[in-house]
Amino acid sequence: MFEILDTGASGLMAQRARLDTIAENIANMNTTHGPNGEKTPFRRRMVLLGAGRPGDLSRPGVHVEKIEEDPSPFIQKFDPGNPDADSTGYVRMPNIDTTKEFVNAIDASRAYEANVTMMETAKSMFNSTLRLLA
Amino acid sequence: MFIDRLISQGPTPVLEQELAFTDARQQVLADNIANVDTIGYQQKDLSVDKFQEMLREKVEQQQSAAPGSVDFSDIEQEVENPANGILSHDGNNRSMEQMMTDNAKNALMHNLVVELLRNQYSAMEMALKERVS
Repeated sequence: MFEILDTGASGLMAQRARLDTIAENIANMNTTHGPNGEKTPFRRRMVLLGAGRPGDLSRPGVHVEKIEEDPSPFIQKFDPGNPDADSTGYVRMPNIDTTKEFVNAIDASRAYEANVTMMETAKSMFNSTLRLLA
Repeated sequence: MFIDRLISQGPTPVLEQELAFTDARQQVLADNIANVDTIGYQQKDLSVDKFQEMLREKVEQQQSAAPGSVDFSDIEQEVENPANGILSHDGNNRSMEQMMTDNAKNALMHNLVVELLRNQYSAMEMALKERVS
């Protein structure tokens, strides 16, 4: 009876995962070292979504299939004085474009709102059905 | 005694048990929301499936037994720890969306049961008063 609410909730969780990843990308825009100090710049992360509710893929809904790293090349910035510069004076920066990240963020938050509206509609439909009784 | 016999037939005991269940579940779910910042807290829930299974067995018993003879009040409620959400670094496996959805579903179920019960009681009242209003 309340399957639509579970479907909506899975949509909310998937969009939140996207937004979390976008926030991580933006926070790490200029990160040139790994978590243990190794000299690899941060790679942009992308969330891949798959159909099916998390925990029961046969029910309608969406789940996070995986969080992959973007294989596109790093951005080269010319900065010979930088301690991270290689022999030619270029520093490898993360392959993150703020504009693209913000557009994706707007997309994810609108999708989140759309899911919430869906669930509100379902609830008000159910409540108006109850009024048939009263 | 007579009133007991009246209200322990038909759908009324089923609805009353369901009402008690939604009330108890609301408490457990509110506990989850209150502990949204607690380190290491495990999400709790009352198992809806198991409850409905026990309720269904009682209803089947009721259909073949004398009216008012099946006792509904000994249905237990089991607390379970659902494995939803991602484990965050404070050990709490909460998911705000899941908590809100569970609350919404429970509230809707509660409203439905209250409406059905109200209908039952007003039908009984109609019969008692011998008047249709």
